[in-house]
Amino acid sequence: MSVLDGIAIVGVAETAIGKLPGRSAISLQAEAGVAAVAAAGLAKDDIDGVFSFSGYSQAMMLHAARVAEHLGLRPELAVVTDVGGPGTHHAALLNVAAAIDAGMCTAALCTYGENGISIRRSGRGRAPGTLTGGEDFEAPYGQIAMISGYALFAQRHMHLHGTTSEQLGAVAVTSRYHASLNDNAHKREPITLADHQASPMISSPLRRLDCSLISDAGGAFVVTSVERARSLGVPYARVLGYGAATTHHVPSQAPDLHELGGPLAATRAFERSGMTAADVDAVYIHDACTFSVVAGVEALGLCGEGEGGPYAESGALALGSKCPVNLHGGMLSHGHAGGVFHLLDAVRQLQGTAGQRQVDGAEVVVAHGNGGVFSTFSTMVLGRGG
Amino acid sequence: MTGKPRPDLNDAAAAPYWEAAARHELMLPRCDGCGLVFFPPREHCPGCWNGDLSWQPMSGGGKVWTFTEVHVAFYDDTWAEDVPYVVAVIELDEGPRLLANIVEPDMDRLSIGDRVEVVFEDRSEGVSLPMFRAIK
Ligand SMILES: [Zn+2]
Repeated sequence: MSVLDGIAIVGVAETAIGKLPGRSAISLQAEAGVAAVAAAGLAKDDIDGVFSFSGYSQAMMLHAARVAEHLGLRPELAVVTDVGGPGTHHAALLNVAAAIDAGMCTAALCTYGENGISIRRSGRGRAPGTLTGGEDFEAPYGQIAMISGYALFAQRHMHLHGTTSEQLGAVAVTSRYHASLNDNAHKREPITLADHQASPMISSPLRRLDCSLISDAGGAFVVTSVERARSLGVPYARVLGYGAATTHHVPSQAPDLHELGGPLAATRAFERSGMTAADVDAVYIHDACTFSVVAGVEALGLCGEGEGGPYAESGALALGSKCPVNLHGGMLSHGHAGGVFHLLDAVRQLQGTAGQRQVDGAEVVVAHGNGGVFSTFSTMVLGRGG
Repeated sequence: MTGKPRPDLNDAAAAPYWEAAARHELMLPRCDGCGLVFFPPREHCPGCWNGDLSWQPMSGGGKVWTFTEVHVAFYDDTWAEDVPYVVAVIELDEGPRLLANIVEPDMDRLSIGDRVEVVFEDRSEGVSLPMFRAIK
């Protein structure tokens, strides 16, 4: 038994996504939060725990206390988790589970998102260089953006395994196709492989259409006990298994591709869940870039090591395949405001509320991916609630 | 122009590294306990947590572990005059990996595994950065 067995994700919500002038990050998180509580069939007074993260475009201290104050809440616990990428949201679930088990919380609101576009105009955005770390030994060389860090690994994967730009392009095209099925996606216009190949090089081998978006957006979810969830009468998702791994912070200190934490996190999560990759109906991979998806399908065991490129090119990522990837459109097309939307859409699949992109009868869905530049990995195996 | 990021030359654990670089020498810490040569410099060995360290000259040779050619100046115009520039992870012959630029790169030929040697760029007062150049 784990404390995670006792929790249910009962409500999810997201704001509009795109360029939202005048919207502060906290207002986006609050809007999503209010909607998520309603979706859970709960009311303001039911919420007695707040878990959040500010996002990276304007990192803040005591962020969860800010959210609580903004929403007029006085919870026992207001906790920030910052693990990077999906790990931030997954670690919040672990914190909520422990808080519920300890009797410190009965229903938690978890809020995320940022105004990555609009913050730049306000002049309050984060100074370059502090996002990526490596202030002394990497930033002086112009390693100041996440995407060039990812490019270093994409280049090495191409060298070791023969992965091609066209294979990465298949990820971008599929993500955009899925986004075209999602009314709330930031970018919905379909793209072709030719569009991908014609998009300008940002940091070789990654082109513009290999890069995730920057979006203004908020997302939130509500967690309570399974017992409470049953009484609410709303569909919910349960945690079947959670695994994580941490290997480094900056790119130069990473282990080689086969020793990155992705397979470790996935193996740990699958073992704890009693599931295997063959049991999974859909996966959501934190796609900071197209290559993240290639690395992700390998880590999850959907294909062999080094085979992620051909796997993507085969059409295996798309709705209708055995295990589609990023059905909401991912950060490549749906929106990027910290990456919570993967978890939200995984829950929707298990609630049966994913609309045109619903996988019929989805029972097991996995959210997986990394923070930093493949620095921390987190895998969450989720199952359909009762 | 806001100026390129500068390393903290006063960081106690790293000061000998930067002092060596200013003399155009590449020196890394070596653990007196387990013999590990490591980077970046810190007050203890990351292998065994021993705090007794010595500074060891490196050969200056290594190979390209991976690289990227950066085509856009991120955030502001700090790097606008440098793009495109090559960021690489170099594996030194002594084992540690570090990140640096490849100077005067031949992009038609640059490849992972290429042999490189250290050169130094005097960046600003007291700051010299190890860089790498392909060995023809
Ligand atoms: Zn040692």
